Amino acid sequence: MSADRGVSASGAREGVLASFEYLDAAVDAIKRLRGEGFEEITAFSGYPEHHIEEALGYRASPVRLFTLIGGLTGAATGLAFTVFTSMDWPLVTGGKPILSIPAYVIPMFELTILFGAFATVFGVFYNIRLPSLKGDVVYDPKYSSEGYGVYVTAPANRITSARSILEEHGPASLQDDPQGDSHG
Amino acid sequence: MATVTEKTRAEQTHPDVRSHGEVNADIMRMLSPPGTWWWVLFGLSIAGIGLLAFSWGNQLVRGIGLSGLNTPVGWGAYITTFVFWVGIAHSGTLISAILFLFRARWRQSIYRAAEAMTVFAVMTAGLFPLIHLGRAWHAYWLFPYPNERMLWPNFRSPLVWDVFAVTTYFTVSSLFFLMGLIPDIAAARDSAEKGTLRQKFYSLASVGWRGTDRQWHHFGKAYLYMAALATPLVLSVHSVVSWDFAMGIVPGWHATIFAPYFVAGAIFSGVAMVITILVPIRKVFGLQKYLTTRHFDAMAKLCLVTGIIVFYAYLNEFFMAWYSGEDPERRVFWNRLWGHYWWATWIMLICNGLIPVLLWFKRVRHSIAALFTISIFINIGMWFERFVIIVTSLSHEFMPFAWGVYRPTITEMGIVIGTFGWFFFWLLLFIRLLPPVAISELKEVLPPPMRPKQKTEASR
Amino acid sequence: MSEGIKRRDFLKVLGVSGAGAGLVGCSTDQVEKLIPYVTPPEEITPGVATWYSTVCGECPAACGVWVRTREGRAVKVEGNPHHPVSGGALCARGHASLQGLYNPDRLEGPVRRGEDGEFQPIAWDEAEALLSQHVQDAGSDFVFVTRKEGPALAGLIESVVESVGGSRVEYEALSEAPLREATRMAFGQDAVPTFRFEEADLIFSFGADFLETWLSPVEHARGFARSTGIDEAHEKARFVFLSPRLSLTGQNADEWVPLTAGSEGVVALAIAHALVQRGADGGPYSDLIEAYDAQAAANEAGIPAETIEELADAFQAASAPLAVGPGVAGQGANATATNLAVLILNAVAGSVGSTLHVTRSDLAAPATPYRELADVISRMAEGQVPAMVLHNVNPAYSLPPESGFRQALGQVGFSVAITPHLDETAALCDLVLPDAHTLESWGDSNPRPELWALRQPVMQPVPHFDSRSAGDVLVRLAGRLGEDLGAETFHDYLRNRWSDLHAELGSPGGSFDAFWREALRVGVVEVDAAPAQATAMQTPDRALTFDAPELEGDGMALVVYPSSRFGDGRGANKPWLQELPDPVTKLAWHSWVEIHPETAEELGVRRGDMVRVASPHGELEVPVYTYPGIRADTVAIAMGEGHENYGRYANGNGVNPMVLLPATVEEPSGTLAHLSVRVNLEPTGRRYSMASIEGSDQQYDRPIAPAVQLEELREGNIEEAGGYPTRQELQAIGGFVPITTEAEPQDFPLEGARYGDYEDSGSTPRWAMAIDLDKCTGCSACVTACQSENNVAFVGKDQLAMGRALQWIRLERYYEQIDSSQPGPVDIRFLPMLCQHCGNAPCEPVCPVYAAYHTPDGLNAQVYNRCVGTRYCANNCPYKVRVFNWYRFSEVPEPLNWQYNPDVTVRTEGIMEKCSFCVQRIRKSENQATLEGRTIGSNEVVPACQQSCPAEAIVFGNIRDPESRVYQVSNNDRTYRVLDVLINTQPAINYLRKVTFHPVESIHV
Repeated sequence: MSADRGVSASGAREGVLASFEYLDAAVDAIKRLRGEGFEEITAFSGYPEHHIEEALGYRASPVRLFTLIGGLTGAATGLAFTVFTSMDWPLVTGGKPILSIPAYVIPMFELTILFGAFATVFGVFYNIRLPSLKGDVVYDPKYSSEGYGVYVTAPANRITSARSILEEHGPASLQDDPQGDSHG
Repeated sequence: MATVTEKTRAEQTHPDVRSHGEVNADIMRMLSPPGTWWWVLFGLSIAGIGLLAFSWGNQLVRGIGLSGLNTPVGWGAYITTFVFWVGIAHSGTLISAILFLFRARWRQSIYRAAEAMTVFAVMTAGLFPLIHLGRAWHAYWLFPYPNERMLWPNFRSPLVWDVFAVTTYFTVSSLFFLMGLIPDIAAARDSAEKGTLRQKFYSLASVGWRGTDRQWHHFGKAYLYMAALATPLVLSVHSVVSWDFAMGIVPGWHATIFAPYFVAGAIFSGVAMVITILVPIRKVFGLQKYLTTRHFDAMAKLCLVTGIIVFYAYLNEFFMAWYSGEDPERRVFWNRLWGHYWWATWIMLICNGLIPVLLWFKRVRHSIAALFTISIFINIGMWFERFVIIVTSLSHEFMPFAWGVYRPTITEMGIVIGTFGWFFFWLLLFIRLLPPVAISELKEVLPPPMRPKQKTEASR
Repeated sequence: MSEGIKRRDFLKVLGVSGAGAGLVGCSTDQVEKLIPYVTPPEEITPGVATWYSTVCGECPAACGVWVRTREGRAVKVEGNPHHPVSGGALCARGHASLQGLYNPDRLEGPVRRGEDGEFQPIAWDEAEALLSQHVQDAGSDFVFVTRKEGPALAGLIESVVESVGGSRVEYEALSEAPLREATRMAFGQDAVPTFRFEEADLIFSFGADFLETWLSPVEHARGFARSTGIDEAHEKARFVFLSPRLSLTGQNADEWVPLTAGSEGVVALAIAHALVQRGADGGPYSDLIEAYDAQAAANEAGIPAETIEELADAFQAASAPLAVGPGVAGQGANATATNLAVLILNAVAGSVGSTLHVTRSDLAAPATPYRELADVISRMAEGQVPAMVLHNVNPAYSLPPESGFRQALGQVGFSVAITPHLDETAALCDLVLPDAHTLESWGDSNPRPELWALRQPVMQPVPHFDSRSAGDVLVRLAGRLGEDLGAETFHDYLRNRWSDLHAELGSPGGSFDAFWREALRVGVVEVDAAPAQATAMQTPDRALTFDAPELEGDGMALVVYPSSRFGDGRGANKPWLQELPDPVTKLAWHSWVEIHPETAEELGVRRGDMVRVASPHGELEVPVYTYPGIRADTVAIAMGEGHENYGRYANGNGVNPMVLLPATVEEPSGTLAHLSVRVNLEPTGRRYSMASIEGSDQQYDRPIAPAVQLEELREGNIEEAGGYPTRQELQAIGGFVPITTEAEPQDFPLEGARYGDYEDSGSTPRWAMAIDLDKCTGCSACVTACQSENNVAFVGKDQLAMGRALQWIRLERYYEQIDSSQPGPVDIRFLPMLCQHCGNAPCEPVCPVYAAYHTPDGLNAQVYNRCVGTRYCANNCPYKVRVFNWYRFSEVPEPLNWQYNPDVTVRTEGIMEKCSFCVQRIRKSENQATLEGRTIGSNEVVPACQQSCPAEAIVFGNIRDPESRVYQVSNNDRTYRVLDVLINTQPAINYLRKVTFHPVESIHV
């Protein structure tokens, strides 16, 4: 994400995981950290909390592209499919035209939705790197219930300052992570 | 968090929920080993499935003739129940998708159950196109693949549209449902004690969800897009189902109002079914503080609105029949009211037109018992609505000499009742295995825990 | 043959390998019935039909028929176009003769009653020895009862009986003895007159059901349709029906005079009286006629006197009037008198010699009336009959119990029945010899002096049944009795007789062998034997009472009429006939009593209520059918049902009305009086689920079966119901651009659909049909013909009651005008409803799997093996002509399935079927044309319904060809298409609307 990525590549990194009881505490902590130039931050919460997302400065998600492309593919498939099959073996039913386009709109529509949905699901899993069952991510099961977690990694030399920043915001608990290379 | 004042209470959806942790605790309690009542219900639904299997098996072996169907009435209880279940299936995605887009804050605590109901209802509805076939063993011929002579299905046929619509709807709503479940399964994983079978199952099903910022970010967006896709789908599916009839030239079917009419009816029946199911769950699991009267009030209002639309459609049908000036059209509707099936029509009118009027009254909307009763009536009424549309129209078509009467048989009744067992079988499994209330989304509408001292802008 | 064995084993293997494929015909148990074609019989080519001409044996009319055989099995009976009686057409009973041939209830061999009273199998030789033994012993007390048979068999029986000095009785339950007796009295000819309906321009029927059972229905129907059907010159004969009940024949009338039962005679005389007053010559009967003035007759008949005057005016005005009747139903104690009265009317009107011909005919051969049988019965009862043979007669069923036949039969020393299958009579006999079916045996017929026909076996006897033809049995019997007939078999005997005939006729066609072969090939020999015609009336040689007979008992007059489906009941074990809805009531598989709706209201019963019908002589319980076509003081029950021992398809269906009748002998003809009692009806409170195909008998102002008044038609103002306004359809460019269409059959396919095989629609034929509703008599022969041609299964009573009839043709019947309270116009519309093969077929686009689609030559095709059974097509068919196989109805007991047409798929359960325009015949003709290197002719294809129609109401062909008959017939002011103007289905069937004499309401569209 940022300049000290270069450093991180060379020197060993450590991490700190702070658990906060209060949302505002966690948000402030994140803001401070980013202010101090710490970018390798992972926040944990039991529900989508847009304050945290703001604090971390997220922008649009690429998932929407997946959805769009999936949907368009579906529409194209639907049209090609219906037209091809009726031209391939033309059979008159009810005196209707061989190409009864209005009728074919429905399969087209359904395929649009279907492909779009599949693409979206694929997109999200692709972007959040799931499924992954490796349990080496620093994590505390209680996050899914209550409280917030802020995990920051930094080169060994800067980790102390990160910890101090977190401590200032009165975390419920603080836990060190010797090799800080795990991010969710 | 400090005790809430009456003022704040009003603007909160779940005023009695104290903390986030409490939510998990309460919901997870529902996943504890079941009690006797559950086993009783479960046993009943297994029996229902048995009845279904026996009746259908018998029909497969001896022939579709075991139904009461005939010429002219080629569709009866089977298609009626098919439409009924598809209709039920609509509230789920409506609540989870459309209300999501509308940011309706009362959907959080009910949408999970509604969505589950949707999936299971589609699974039930999906049986009937197979059951009603003369040669069920050839049902797969309806799927879009070429036979050995490169003959494809006929995409002009509403029944093929139906195949597309229902399968798509099933797939998409299942994806939507399962996707939304992931964070809560993760929560279940975290709260389950280590090493147990449940814990293994949950950690597998949660596909390693940790609830990190990045996960929430993409997940949230994806959820939005899914909702955006599901919304037109919901509206389309029952439109397509309605075209199974409206595309026919049968007097009483061939009407342009059918699509909106059926969609409204579907939501009407679906929401009613949600109420029917949530009321006992709420009672049994003591979820009063999650399913407040406020939620039921909102659902009741939804029922009221859609109910009014449906009843308008009824009146409109009768008016247009008269206004058309065509004898076949007029006579079908005259026959509906006063003919052989008058009783079905009047059940429909009373249950769907008259009884929902009670929902105008706040006292009724706030009385869980009343709502429950009304929702039952609506369910009955909506089954008969489909019966009336299908059977009375077919029995009185263009050629008076070919008019006929259809009487459902034991086999048909057995299958129809059996499918309720099938539906509740899945529902009962669901409320014991997966969080029936969306934990994470519920927390979105709870006031986040803030430092007791001065309020920062974060709390706004 | 050894090759056969080889093939058989091979097929066994095949059957085993294909085990589980139970649907397929060739499972091992059927292998034995396959014909090995390693060395095929020269007259049989696999896949090619062989036709045999023979004579139908279902009723005494003796229609000449062609029987279509495939691989040695008879599969279809059709009228022989060369035969003047059938004229190429056939009735339902004729078609159903196949189900007599293949009836699973036929006897498997001779049986004899053992000590325990049960039938035991017995060898043929033993049986025949036994027979001859008893005949010998009986000597002059021997009695042989037979029905009306052809000259050869009749002659043989005669000579056998004579050889022992015994007596022969010819018994027909439906006897025309009164007519013959009347003819004898009036014209001195012991004959049944010939009626030329074709030449009449005014027809009075005093209750004669000449379209159903009376004398020669098929012949009459053709003539009737030709005269009453409207022609190019807009001429049309008028038909007045005078009877207490409208039979099917009556439903075809233009006017109905609902007179009281039995008063036909006086009314006829009154009309004659009026004619005489108008200057006609009463001849020797003037005094008699004098006695019957209009007013008196009117009072007796319960009709206004003006009616009689009007009828007289019409009869006088007509150039070729014809009066017929009464039928069997009207045979009361004054039957002969009534017949005489009608003959007198004809004579006075000068019809004799024009529309009515008194010629000596075989129909008049001594069919000894009931009186003689009654004498025999009394002798039997007194034990004076040591031995008797009952050949193809069933008096135990068709006589009133009071005749005492059953008990008397018990007193007969040794009773022998010669019959193809067990019936009520045979079941009481000591020895039963299985007779060969008429389609398996030799014989001849001579329905008219100038008309001879040969009956020949059309196939090897059905191997399931060890039967011998009565002829052969009798020839051998004669041999055993020591009489030399100069013949070993009946075939030889027949040849001998015919060689004599050949000589008599002056050896036409050269050698006898050539003559014989030709006779067999063509099926009919017409000789110019113009017999002396008597047209002058003679003075009556005995006194008769013409007044309506006093009916026994109180209550309502009971009319017992012969069923148009079963005749006297002999057809009752044929599922096709049981399943065929009665043309009048549209009920099948059971009996009913016809009551006028008002009477029903008084009794407090509805249609379907069980009532107890009680006469002084017996009672029975039967469901009510409310029928506006019967007088309020009269009820009617059909003969033919209510069998106890006639096979699985007949037993227990309905009731036999004969139990209500006394065994009254009518004098002087000596026939059994049918019209003789009054009955009381009393509700039982029980309901009966009637098996009816009738939904409603009203059209509700829909463009279904419109009619036009003759005057209107002549003036050319015919309202637009079924007119063809041009229409706009979204057709071009994928269904977005509208095009205009005339919506006529030849327009198919419309622009947007012209692609691929449908590209050059001009060169392919467009198969279409035209049905003239002014000719259709509703006789329903087409329904059974179609059933026979297309392997349409029967479903049985319960399924039919559920609304699951499978017939491809539904003969709809709508009441427009029908009033039994006074004389007046009657307007009943018949509409044969079959697949309309619509250009815009609503059934096709809704099928998800293309099982229903349109062929380039305009057929609405149904692909059975693609059908999955969604039934959407049937729901969406506005004509409701699609029928569904709810079960595997096609599985019928052996050997009924031998009748199946190998050219047509036998349908399994769960699939839709419907009229295919006999596509197998179309394809056959196409292949034939291709082989001969020509294009298929526009009139070449004749579907089964058209082929069978006695009224010639149906025409089929390629309507794209302006030369085709179907085009020319359709090119008519009366042409319309059912519902088309309402829903733009563009059917391929053009209907020509009925023409009435009275004003009709125009159908609003």
